[in-house]
Amino acid sequence: MNVTFDNVRVERDRRLVLDVPSLHLSGGRTTAILGPNGSGKTTLLRAIAGLERPASGHISIGGARVASPPHVAVVFQEQVFLRRSVRENLSLGLRLRHVDEDEARMRVEEAAGLLGVPHLLDRRADRLSGGEGRRVSLARALCLRAPLVLMDEPLEGLDEHTYSRLLDELPQLLAAFNATTLLVTHNRHEALRLADDLVVLVDGKVHAAGSTRQVALHPGTSRVADVLGYAVLVAGGRRVAVPPHALRLGPGSALEFSMVVRDVVDLIESHEIVGEIGDVRVRVPFESSQSRPVLGQCVIVHAERWSELSDGVQAH
Amino acid sequence: MAAELLADAHAPIVALRTLLVSGAATALAVIIGVPIGYTIARRSFRGRTIVLGLINTGMGMPPVVVGLIVWLLLVRSGPFGGLDLVYTPQAMVLAQFLIATPIVVGFTTASFQALPPRLFDLLVVLGAGRLRRLWILATEARLGLLVAVMAAFGAIVSEVGASMIVGGNLERSTRVLTTAIVTETSRGEVERALALGLVLLALSFVVNLSLTVVQQHARTR
Repeated sequence: MNVTFDNVRVERDRRLVLDVPSLHLSGGRTTAILGPNGSGKTTLLRAIAGLERPASGHISIGGARVASPPHVAVVFQEQVFLRRSVRENLSLGLRLRHVDEDEARMRVEEAAGLLGVPHLLDRRADRLSGGEGRRVSLARALCLRAPLVLMDEPLEGLDEHTYSRLLDELPQLLAAFNATTLLVTHNRHEALRLADDLVVLVDGKVHAAGSTRQVALHPGTSRVADVLGYAVLVAGGRRVAVPPHALRLGPGSALEFSMVVRDVVDLIESHEIVGEIGDVRVRVPFESSQSRPVLGQCVIVHAERWSELSDGVQAH
Repeated sequence: MAAELLADAHAPIVALRTLLVSGAATALAVIIGVPIGYTIARRSFRGRTIVLGLINTGMGMPPVVVGLIVWLLLVRSGPFGGLDLVYTPQAMVLAQFLIATPIVVGFTTASFQALPPRLFDLLVVLGAGRLRRLWILATEARLGLLVAVMAAFGAIVSEVGASMIVGGNLERSTRVLTTAIVTETSRGEVERALALGLVLLALSFVVNLSLTVVQQHARTR
């Protein structure tokens, strides 16, 4: 189910918070909306869900303008449940959408099974732990079998173990329900891991849109590179984006920098040097077999991978 | 002895009238006040804070002032004098309704505002229509809404000023327990007034106990 934005502008308190002249999200794929806090990601998702009315322009879902949400399921960032059992919370949307009772029961059991929460069905939903609540929220959205699933930071606030498990399980789950998925996140790792396509949103405007691979390999501008967590560095009058973990200690490539060591961080299993290249703070892995740099020392580092940016040094 | 005192004062009829007048006024206040409270809690509009300030002021409005205003409106020479409602139970219901409504609106607004803000959005995206949303959210806010009902009923069943002014304390048609107590006291029938006071307390206790049972059952569900 395709989603198309046509000159969409959303205002809040007479302030423009989202300005998308044109954007097309392809059906059957998972698209991540990546951006820093306050960039308009959630507003964009709410506009698609029909919860935010654009001041101008319109959004089409599968060719029809957004008016009511029968084709949409939403996983909210906050865990929101009625003070009722998990089963009642899961079946509420199905009842509201007039799904037959037997079919509804079957879908609830199926979604609960896939999300690993069948044992929670008779528990009070508003008394679940963070991880359980996230799984139930996902089950509630997926059991609707809506062709478009909107997820707003669905893994936010989880402990590391639960986070990794859900991150591993999500692609299979989404594939099982065969839905077009829109994932709002500020976590580049989640976006790169889960999404086929990537939209980078900064200050309410789309700064990059394309396949995840294309955007990740060629961020194009320093704003996009920033959002992706790349170090934006100047080399020979050019501006380049260096992905995280692509810097290495010592000379070794066509792109070398001189870095001032600010700290050496002991992570027990590994070490990294925190340093500054110009005024950009970077982290460089450091083998314990290598000689330990002295704080304030100037060392040479090189980039294993980089991408040239289109916005020149002067423009920055 | 107590039974004789109460029989002399037509206590059962007066108690029943009290229950009917205050019950009807509370029911009307809930029917009108809950949707208003819901709207204020949900919508953001210019002057919302002033509206809430007025409602909060209304929650503490002296019943005698409300009675006076209603009497001025309904009295024969007033703008609604043609309706011939003054000194009737209907006029008392109207006055008590005006006292109870700000209380219901105030507590309802607070109850709906205390719900998770995203709950409304969730119901929208799940496909609930307006009335269904109001009903589901009201069941979620039921503890606070029952407090609203108890507070409104408690305020009007115990008021005397408005009932006295608009009802006129007519023995066979508009006398309620509070106005009966005033009458008996002014006649020097203190024992009878005390007995009526006990009936009023018992009536209030039974109604509030019933609502509390419902409320606590809802809490533990």
